[in-house]
Amino acid sequence: MKGTFTMKTGRGIAILLAAAATVPLVLAGADRPSIAAVPASHADEASTVRRITEPQYRRAITDIFGADIKVVGRFEPDLRVDGLLAVGTSAVSITSGGLEQYETIARNIAEQVVAPDHRASLIGCTPAAADPAGSACAGQVFDRLGLRMLRRPLAPAERAALVATTLESARALGDFHAGLAAALTGLLTSPDFLFRIDRPGAPEQGRRMVDGWSKASRLSFFLWNAPPDEMLLAAAAKGELDRPEARARLVATMIASPRFADGVRAFFSDFLHLDDIDLLAKDARIYPAFSSAVAADAREQTLRTITDLLVDRQGDYRDLFTTRRIAMNRTLGPLYDVPVAERGWTFHQFPDGDPRAGLFTQISFLAQHSHPGRTSPTLRGKAIQEILLCETIPAPPANVNFAVVQDVDNPTLKTTRARLQAHLDDEECASCHKLTDPMGLALEKFDGAGQFRTTEHGEAIDTTGSFADTHFDGAAALGRLFQRNPQPIDCLVQSTWRYAMGRRLAAFDKPVVARLNADFAGTGYRMVDLIRAIALSPQFYEYEPASPPARMAGWPALATKGAM
Amino acid sequence: MRRTIGRAALARPLQLAALPIAAIALTGASGPTGGDPHQRAFVLSNIYFAAAPEDGVCQPIAAGALESFLASLSADEQAALSAPGKRAELEKLMGERLGFRRMALRAGNSGGRSASARLPADLAPGATPTPEQVRAIARLNDFPKGRGALAFQNHVIAYDSCTNPEDFPQLAKGYRTYDGATAFGMNLDDKAGRAGFTGPDGESGVDNQLWRAIGCVAAFRESGNPATAKGTMFSARAPTLIAISGIDDPRNDSDVTVTVMASADAITKNAVGGALARATFDADPDPALRATTRGRIVDGVLTTDPFDIRLNYKEQILDAPRILKGARIRATLQDDGGIEGGFYGYYTLASFYSSIEQMTVNGANLSRVSCPGVRQAIDKLADGYRDPRTGRFTAISSALGFFGVAAFVNDGAQAAR
Repeated sequence: MKGTFTMKTGRGIAILLAAAATVPLVLAGADRPSIAAVPASHADEASTVRRITEPQYRRAITDIFGADIKVVGRFEPDLRVDGLLAVGTSAVSITSGGLEQYETIARNIAEQVVAPDHRASLIGCTPAAADPAGSACAGQVFDRLGLRMLRRPLAPAERAALVATTLESARALGDFHAGLAAALTGLLTSPDFLFRIDRPGAPEQGRRMVDGWSKASRLSFFLWNAPPDEMLLAAAAKGELDRPEARARLVATMIASPRFADGVRAFFSDFLHLDDIDLLAKDARIYPAFSSAVAADAREQTLRTITDLLVDRQGDYRDLFTTRRIAMNRTLGPLYDVPVAERGWTFHQFPDGDPRAGLFTQISFLAQHSHPGRTSPTLRGKAIQEILLCETIPAPPANVNFAVVQDVDNPTLKTTRARLQAHLDDEECASCHKLTDPMGLALEKFDGAGQFRTTEHGEAIDTTGSFADTHFDGAAALGRLFQRNPQPIDCLVQSTWRYAMGRRLAAFDKPVVARLNADFAGTGYRMVDLIRAIALSPQFYEYEPASPPARMAGWPALATKGAM
Repeated sequence: MRRTIGRAALARPLQLAALPIAAIALTGASGPTGGDPHQRAFVLSNIYFAAAPEDGVCQPIAAGALESFLASLSADEQAALSAPGKRAELEKLMGERLGFRRMALRAGNSGGRSASARLPADLAPGATPTPEQVRAIARLNDFPKGRGALAFQNHVIAYDSCTNPEDFPQLAKGYRTYDGATAFGMNLDDKAGRAGFTGPDGESGVDNQLWRAIGCVAAFRESGNPATAKGTMFSARAPTLIAISGIDDPRNDSDVTVTVMASADAITKNAVGGALARATFDADPDPALRATTRGRIVDGVLTTDPFDIRLNYKEQILDAPRILKGARIRATLQDDGGIEGGFYGYYTLASFYSSIEQMTVNGANLSRVSCPGVRQAIDKLADGYRDPRTGRFTAISSALGFFGVAAFVNDGAQAAR
């Protein structure tokens, strides 16, 4: 029988063996949008389950195996819930197609790890003469990798199953390292790797808390957007994460690490919907200076500007709405119409009085919340309301007539403001547009690609409006109003909390969010202090039981499809 | 950042001392949207021989080398080789009959390094040969004595009617010069002699003997059509920058400073294939590739005083600087930030012949040019900068049109690094 296997078929069966041995799966009920996938031994204790995101997956592979190991393949798209992908991570499933994708990626990674050029550094042992099957070597590998990959120690049964699978696969494939790759593939597609699964730990001051390993994961994914490193895992093993004072020291160390900027970038990328810019396309005839390179760099520009202000200079979050200091490179310089002295990234300071100031005047915001060939005060205003003020704007009715707004060459309605005004003659439309358009119209001196202009079809552009009963003229003035208004602060605090917890805001969150809000004001609105306050909050580590998931014996079948 | 650039400028005291006014510097990292309103800069996307919009001239067009060669063949051979599909065969025969040589020096050319090439021991692989080495290579490979030149971006040593046009006068037989009355250009000598043209806008006394010499060559006429030239990016690899500083009124200013520089950066294309406007370019630190003069803007048209300029000309197969003496710029500053106009001055014969030498006769367009015809015509029509020793003119009046888009110039960044 062994001799009849093709290599591919043999590997598929070996991977199936690995998956079946290690990851009996439980799935959420069909009426829930999520999969709660946990090892059987922990199923009854399952709490919030969050699928790791693509950047987190990639970070994990780099951290565990090194940057040489390439992650090649497509991931299932993340889901934005309540404005955040982080919230969506606890509401996403893995489809059978998605599992196939994960399996393909995992197999490729595993093959690289056991390849001759990486074997010495990443495997570190070979079957000894006394143990020709390699049982001891396989055990060593999984002792080391199991902790890093599952972010908790392997249970003895899990270890034994992985070793057994390695040996069985090696026999089927006639090669120890091929067997190891099959078992590694199974580990990489196991729910314990692909999902963050909280487990209950010892109570603290009457609160039911997650265990130390789960605390390590919560901290690490929140502060670094990465799985726990060896320092954190060691702290978890020693029980340090169960002691508030030791936790505080670890949090301070993590915030001082260069990796903290990665965590801040991940939050703002999610909060500001910057991942959406990957799909951004513009009409080349109308905006010839815009390209996919511009879009990618526009996102990087915003993230660099944010980390410069909030991390490197420990600045006031509110200044994000008014800052004239912005990251810049030569790809973006033409759209900002500014010179760029350096060939790489640098910082550009717009002088006082310049129309460019603050987040609203950055291309990542202006271009993303526009149509391919024209601006959209409505989309821009909606983005401000929903993203930065945490308001909800209803979707337009299905039968709405956009003809007037879309007629950009209308000889009498030359400006977008004029066309929108005509559209607002419809009372049904006006009710929502009055919420969005005034703020969006403040940005009209920036075209659909984010380039400055003063006229539209030869007519001067009017950027006046009012926010919070205060008159403004232009994007910079609107930014100044945001800087002084409490609502963007409230929105940021509760968004950061929801990001940290990976779920919607609940009624029981109100006291902690209120306290965080007050503390944020007390520390001068420093983002670092807000994140630190969350990381030190006992509520951040509370165990929150999920609904009991329905057990489903579907994993081996899915794995079969994926592996074959 | 201003300080950094200031230091960079100070690092080049000799270079700056040679200029009448300090060269323009980058507005700086604290510049506003749109840059400093007292400065404007441009990157030129195309510099070309501007063809006069005149009908009914150049009939028939000047014969190219290949046509002249064909005409020299017997009637039977002409019948056998005159079809367009026989062009490659005809080129091969011309090379064989006239003793053309062509030898690739390094890999990267079609065919790679010529297998039979014998190279001097002191020529490092991949290096561009020195003039002495070129002569040595020619000797080692049995080129006619004292003949042969580098061509095709210095990847080839060739001997043909472009490298040595004086050896092939027979290929100038069907050549003709431009006999029209209209040409682009300026009155460079303030005279209105018989040789002068009338400009397309009626200006009299236009000096453009280069167009007189080459204006009936099909290849130059086609690329020189302004409508064609505007949509062509032909100076992308090593573009030229023009910077105007000291602007008080963008429409009318009696005194501005104009600097022409070579860029160290290529042009980036925008999403529709044109030159990306408002990009930043580092100025080439080579002082030979920089010149400054004064100018004035009248109703949005810039005109400069005469100055000597050296323009990079690195396109396709060519790497031959254009050297213009007594050149002026006259150009329209456009509302969209672009520029359209020309360099009008005396193109040195040496630099023009250098570009001709590098052409060789191979290639669909190139074989339509008779280098001997061009050379003879220019020798005859040259009208500028007489060599007091020989009594011969060393330059020829010319008009190089250009199109450009708005740009930022980082002048001194190279020195800073």
